[in-house]
Amino acid sequence: MRLEAMAMSMPEVAGHPNRVPFEGVLTVVDEASTRAPSGARGHRVILTRAAAMEALPSLLGMAIGFTPGWDGHDVRRKCGLITEADLIGKELRVQGYLYGRDFPEVVQQVEGGKPGTMGMSYELADAHVADMRADVWTVTRAMFTGAAVLLREKAAYRNTSFRLRGVQARHSLAGAGGEARQAKSMRLAAVDDFYLEQKGKEARWR
Amino acid sequence: MSDVLNSVSASVERLSAAARALEMTAARLEQREAAISGDVQKITAAVETNGDSLRRELELERKLALAEQEITTLMAQVSSIQSGAASHAGVRKTLPPATVQLLAKGGLDSLDRLDTGALDAALSGLGIEQRIAVKSQLLRSGALIS
Repeated sequence: MRLEAMAMSMPEVAGHPNRVPFEGVLTVVDEASTRAPSGARGHRVILTRAAAMEALPSLLGMAIGFTPGWDGHDVRRKCGLITEADLIGKELRVQGYLYGRDFPEVVQQVEGGKPGTMGMSYELADAHVADMRADVWTVTRAMFTGAAVLLREKAAYRNTSFRLRGVQARHSLAGAGGEARQAKSMRLAAVDDFYLEQKGKEARWR
Repeated sequence: MSDVLNSVSASVERLSAAARALEMTAARLEQREAAISGDVQKITAAVETNGDSLRRELELERKLALAEQEITTLMAQVSSIQSGAASHAGVRKTLPPATVQLLAKGGLDSLDRLDTGALDAALSGLGIEQRIAVKSQLLRSGALIS
């Protein structure tokens, strides 16, 4: 399995109320999309590994967006940030955080739904297609300009995912006690874990 | 000396002709490359909930369903024809030589074009028992269908 990764360092702020860490699979490389993405004129799309690799730096710092119907992109609704991107096997995995306090409905949607309900979608700009006449377009060069969290069924790639990190611990504790305070403390602990981990990564990638 | 100059001049001309040909080829290749590949301003990996893409996808799905239905119908027809042909091919069309001679005398040379009127006419000179015997043989051979 091949692993390529890139991360940006963020200052650690313990107990930040507006940072809710997430992780997800943004897309898969070297595989045709399940359905035609928007803007591809009805063609399914293959994002090559080389193109994804080259574009990894452009993904860091890009925003996560959403629509009220959880079915696409709205570049004016940015509810989070991507801070890390890893190419593991064929999966392009991302991590970052949502602005949880500003967008509680996003946290609720991701936390409250069945596991596997939510997925992700990339946004590419200046994509170079090898053969415009091909049934399946092969993107050989592009830049990431953002991403969206959406219902997985609305994503052009079926095998995407999106979840909050440490959400299982929060669920079990909230289920046992049901106390908001306990849930909050666990959320903060998850945030702390996230930053400790980030700190380690920062060291690793420097 | 002039031979050398002529030779050099000819070589230079050939080289420049080759260079021109190469330039033209490169230009043609560039044009072809531009026609095949292309840049797309924006692609988002979300399925369009409305717009041309979705309409095209739905239209294609509809056409695919129709095509599949047609294929199924045609396959059934082909299968039916093939089984009919197989059963027809399985018919034994051999008749005893005496019967063949009798039919030939009545003007029936081929069993492929056998019809009731022609058969009755051909057998009109025979007695009732002989007619029954010939028709039975024809039925057994499959040349006559009851």
